[in-house]
Amino acid sequence: MLELRNITKGYAEGRKVLANLDYTLNTGEYIAIMGESGVGKSTLLNLIAGLDTPDAGEIRINGVAISSLDDDTATKLRREQFGFIFQAFHVLPHLTLAQNIALPLLLNGKAIDRVELMLEQVGLHGRGRHFPYQLSGGELQRVAIARALIHRPKLVLADEPTGNLDPDTAHDILQLIRAEIKANGAMGIIVTHSHLAAATADSVLNLTMEGLHATQPMQPV
Amino acid sequence: MMWSKHSSGIIVFVTLFFSVLGIEVMAESGRLKPVTPDYKLSFPVDFGAHDDFRIEWWYITGWLETEDKKPLGFQVTFFRYATDQNHDNPSRFAAKYLIIAHLALSDPAVSKLMHAEKSAREGFGLAYAKPGNTEVRLDDWTLVREENGRYQVDMQANDFGLQLSFTPTQTVMLQDQKGFSRKGPKPEQASYYYSEPQLSVTGRILRHNKPVVVNGSAWLDHEWSTAYLDSDADGWDWVGANLNDGSALMAFQIRSKNGEKIWGYAAIRDVSGNMTFFEPDQIEFTPIRTWRSPQTDAIYPVAMRIRTGDIEWVLTPLFDDQELDSRQSTAAVYWEGAVKLTKDNMPAGHGYLELTGYVKPLAL
Amino acid sequence: MNLTALYRWLLLGEWRAHWIQVMVALIAIAVGVAMAFSIHLINTAAFNEFSAASKSLSGQSDLQVHGRKALFDEALYPLLANHDGVALANPVLELDVAVPGKLQNRNDYKLKIIGIDTFRAMQIAPDLLGLPEEGKTLDRFASDTIFLSPAAMEWLRVKQDDSLQLHAGLEAITLRVAGGLVRARAGQRIAVMDIGAAQWRFQQLGVLSRIELKLQDGVNHAAFKARLMEELGESYVVTEQLDQEKRIANMSRAYRVNLNMLALVALFTGTFLVFSTQALSVIRRRHQFALLRVLGVTRQQLLRQVAVEGMILGILGSLSGLVLGYTVAELAIQFLGGDLGSNFFPGVKPSIHFDPLIALLFLGVGIVVTLMGSIIPALEAARAKPASALRSGSEDTAMAKLSAPWFAIGCLAVALLFTQLPPVFELPVFGYLAISLLLIGGIALMPHFTAWFFSVFLTYMPKKHRNTVLILALARLANAPNQAAIALGGILASFSLMVAMAIMVTSFRISIDNWLGQVLPADLYVRIVTSGDQGGFEPAAQQAIVAQPGFTRIDFFRVQQLLWDPDRPEITLFARPVDRADPRNTLPMTDDMLAPGSIPDGVMPVWISEAIVDLYGYRVGDKITLPIAKTASEFLVAGVWRDYGRQFGAIQMLLSDYQKLTGDLRINTAAMWLKNGVTMEQAVDVLRQLPFGSALEISRASDLRALSLEIFDRSFAVTYLLEIIAVVIGLLGVAASFSAQTLARVKEFGMLRHIGVLRRQILALLAAEGGFLTSLGILLGFILGWGISLILVFIVNPQSFHWTMQLYLPWRWLFAIAVILLISAALTALLSGRSAVSNQVIRAVREDW
Repeated sequence: MLELRNITKGYAEGRKVLANLDYTLNTGEYIAIMGESGVGKSTLLNLIAGLDTPDAGEIRINGVAISSLDDDTATKLRREQFGFIFQAFHVLPHLTLAQNIALPLLLNGKAIDRVELMLEQVGLHGRGRHFPYQLSGGELQRVAIARALIHRPKLVLADEPTGNLDPDTAHDILQLIRAEIKANGAMGIIVTHSHLAAATADSVLNLTMEGLHATQPMQPV
Repeated sequence: MMWSKHSSGIIVFVTLFFSVLGIEVMAESGRLKPVTPDYKLSFPVDFGAHDDFRIEWWYITGWLETEDKKPLGFQVTFFRYATDQNHDNPSRFAAKYLIIAHLALSDPAVSKLMHAEKSAREGFGLAYAKPGNTEVRLDDWTLVREENGRYQVDMQANDFGLQLSFTPTQTVMLQDQKGFSRKGPKPEQASYYYSEPQLSVTGRILRHNKPVVVNGSAWLDHEWSTAYLDSDADGWDWVGANLNDGSALMAFQIRSKNGEKIWGYAAIRDVSGNMTFFEPDQIEFTPIRTWRSPQTDAIYPVAMRIRTGDIEWVLTPLFDDQELDSRQSTAAVYWEGAVKLTKDNMPAGHGYLELTGYVKPLAL
Repeated sequence: MNLTALYRWLLLGEWRAHWIQVMVALIAIAVGVAMAFSIHLINTAAFNEFSAASKSLSGQSDLQVHGRKALFDEALYPLLANHDGVALANPVLELDVAVPGKLQNRNDYKLKIIGIDTFRAMQIAPDLLGLPEEGKTLDRFASDTIFLSPAAMEWLRVKQDDSLQLHAGLEAITLRVAGGLVRARAGQRIAVMDIGAAQWRFQQLGVLSRIELKLQDGVNHAAFKARLMEELGESYVVTEQLDQEKRIANMSRAYRVNLNMLALVALFTGTFLVFSTQALSVIRRRHQFALLRVLGVTRQQLLRQVAVEGMILGILGSLSGLVLGYTVAELAIQFLGGDLGSNFFPGVKPSIHFDPLIALLFLGVGIVVTLMGSIIPALEAARAKPASALRSGSEDTAMAKLSAPWFAIGCLAVALLFTQLPPVFELPVFGYLAISLLLIGGIALMPHFTAWFFSVFLTYMPKKHRNTVLILALARLANAPNQAAIALGGILASFSLMVAMAIMVTSFRISIDNWLGQVLPADLYVRIVTSGDQGGFEPAAQQAIVAQPGFTRIDFFRVQQLLWDPDRPEITLFARPVDRADPRNTLPMTDDMLAPGSIPDGVMPVWISEAIVDLYGYRVGDKITLPIAKTASEFLVAGVWRDYGRQFGAIQMLLSDYQKLTGDLRINTAAMWLKNGVTMEQAVDVLRQLPFGSALEISRASDLRALSLEIFDRSFAVTYLLEIIAVVIGLLGVAASFSAQTLARVKEFGMLRHIGVLRRQILALLAAEGGFLTSLGILLGFILGWGISLILVFIVNPQSFHWTMQLYLPWRWLFAIAVILLISAALTALLSGRSAVSNQVIRAVREDW
């Protein structure tokens, strides 16, 4: 369970992006957050991930207040319980696909057993020895998804995961993200501008200066 | 005392010795005089140094007794050697004459010969051998004959030394033909040689720098020459002894390379001054017991039977290890030791035995 | 355990992808360590050998007694030999005899002949005994024999039983080579004779150079020394072995320290390169590190990763540096000699001694520097907020933190302060510190200066010259100055050092050239091929010379060494005619002198060299006491003159005063001015006709001058070598940072190619950036180098060698080097950037890395 209590965050130059934000995400839930540019979507994700600290308020994941942890503890929490998918893919260029995907397992000191399975699940069967430069953008995002989920995280954070992809590929990837989150029983938060992308979530929330509000999920056309 | 002294001294003298040995092939500078039978020794001048001759030494050995009646032997030698060079060099450092000295002490308590050597060029009043009377100095080592005939010796080595006075009790003993002493079959193989036996000794020795009062009797040799040894000579055996009845015995043989006797000489002077001489064929040296030096592996006949005419002398060493081994510093190795003499199994006297040529000199 | 696998993956992945940069970093570390290590090895080897050789000459004595002048009366010998407490007195006559066939080498023509008394020497310096042929022991005492060390035999091309021709005063003498020595050090060129023979044959009757003493057991050395000094009085000096070692160390200290400093400067340049290579490599991977942080790598784990990488590079690079340094040292000693061709340690053939501790030290320095280069930027990367670090374009801000302007300005300010401080232990420590700080500050200031300079440039650039490439290049340099500055650091460091050395060497050389003109005013200089210090010309010979036609003026010189302070090397005493009213007519005076004509009558003036001022503290107008004659005499310091020849000090006095005081009428050099119309050849012929003509060494002033400059150039050869290495390292740095940046900027180039920038325009952009940057680096390097040269010329040189000089700038040479550097840097930038225009680049836009 992810609880956001009274989150307030402003920037150094005085601009406030989040104010008194409250939200509770239940286990197994997959939500999409939409909103205008600059409204603080990515900031919110960073706060949830413990990469940034709120000016006020508290963030709890399964009862642990991540916002009050020191860097090392937060990092360890992140590596165990979180999975990340970025718009810009972010894979390490000098590691093979298999190595990239295995990173979370390594970091958590777990046995490297699910790599082939994950590769297969994201449709990259048999390409574990390839390097990132041999892949297309959609394929790279598949790698990132596999990496985000391989260690069975409690919470998957996806920041505009299809922003760099063509619509067909985007569709596949969105389905894949949803399927993987659900298959692993994780919570999921996807931040996106795309209604199409948002529609793959269980519910869609709109982030404004006033807070997070549920909107009716748009049915895929 | 004999010519063993060539092989003593520093490294220089091992080779010097051979240069003297090979005298026949060596060109004479003309500055140095030969030894001739017609020279008549005269004293006190001949007590002093003779710069015209190549080599000269004063040699004193003797038996001492400490106050608690413990016996000791000692040997003191001063050499003067003419390099026969540098006479036109006006430098005060010009090496015209070298002075070399040896000091050895035979102490049965140590059972090993203690010895020390020094060498220097004559000059600056630091080292000299003066003419006219015996007066030799090498740094702080001195040998002086006083007007009254008494000799004073003062020599101090690192951990031992001696300060002794020698008072003559008899007249000078001219060896061989009134001091002309032949050393080989050829007439030019000779030296001038006199001895002063039965010197009465008083003074003190220093053992580990602690003075010990001693007295005893000693034997002095003074010998000078320009050339003498036969080229076939390999070494020699020599003895000089003060006999209990007041007479003096001196005997030597020169051995060839195959161990035969090339030359021999012996003389006995009784208390009243009568000399008995022995021809080479009347003299016989027979080893009784040998001793192998652990340092040099040389085998010395440290106990000898010496026959002079029909008298047989048996020589027994004070102790065996009286080898003077200075290979580290000077390369000279010989045996020079205090010996007791018996005649017909009766104690006859005390003397010094010198054995040379039993170790091959180190090749340099 | 799994983390180890992760580290390994990351490391190998990085190295596989950037192996060229890894190699460059390794080479940089290796070269930096190798330079410092080899110079250290050579220096230590040469010095140890030199002092061991000097020590072997004096044996194992407790005390040594010297005269103030080179030689003293032998009457002292028996006094000391008989002195209470003395166990042994060893008299020595040591002569440096000119060898007729070797005069062309002005610095190296003397044979050291040691006259010994074999019996005394064997107890104190047994190595010095001659080794005669078997059966010729008396050769050790002969007057016509000489024993030579193997090196001396080789040098003189003689062997046992050959005869050897030498000059003694005006006479030629022939000696027989009777054999070798018991032991001589490799390369040690010495000869041994009987002391009496040496006195006689070299006309030194009645004198000695020193007496070495062995004291009796239990005698207190210090107390004995004090008592003896009091007994002997002013004319003698009593020294211990320690004093002598101190003197030897003092002799070459300035030279050694300066060379070591050069090695450190080389290490510094290398350090900077290593630092910048590593820093760039870390900064380039900021994204990766940020991603790893997001994925859950802790700060310590990240730092450890970078540290391990730096450690491996540091160990590999430093180890190869040690091997390389050792090899270079071996080769240098073999081909240049232990003093690297400068003749500072003549006749010494050292061998390199490998000291594991020292090697470990150099290894450590190499590793620490590499680690620093890795960890400092990694610290920044670890501290950065991963979220913002994931965004591209943040590298430059990362680097900005590495170069805070207050730090740079602080360094420069302290450097300025340090230039005002006096020497420490007679060494220009603060001068060197100021140089380092100037370099560090200058480099640290680079980013700010670059940004400022290029934005100003961009703003004020005339509109008509604007084109895309130029604007792109300038904009980047102005807006992302930090990366540019790091690339420039190496070039800046090496070029400024090169400029500094060039200015210093030029200033020195021109000053020396001018000075030679002043100190060699005559046409011909006539010396006697003789035993160094001793006046060779007796009055009769002097008259014979004066009587020769063809000369307008002849000056006689009496030159000798004087041991003034037992702890210091000897000073040189010149007795010669000096214009008493205005010494500027005779000597290269500084401005520091009594007003012309103001020396009172009846006062004996001396003119001291700058070194005397620095080392002994005398000033103009001071009274000075010199132990020249039997009793010490008082002189007036009338002026200070400039002397590049003798760093340990020299004093000039009037020949008439000297002769009056000492009664020594011999002289050793004659300076001769030709009459109009007389040619050099005629004059030389006239002199050769003299009865002692063959013993004369006649030199033209012009030859002496050429020779001196040649020696000067040779002694700076190693400096040039070091400079070139520094520049190569600098270029290597440019190559490394440009290729690193080009890789990092692949996306940027891809985008440019997408929007229609031509391939060659990209290349031009790279060349322009490289060119601009290098130009700025050269400009700054010049300013910095000029500043450093001021420190070298006006602080380091006067403080370590005690001479001042004027500043001269070698414009043409500097310009040439600048152009070469500019072209090489632009080419380097171009070459390392050529991958930036490959087809892959276009694809890179879609990729993140």
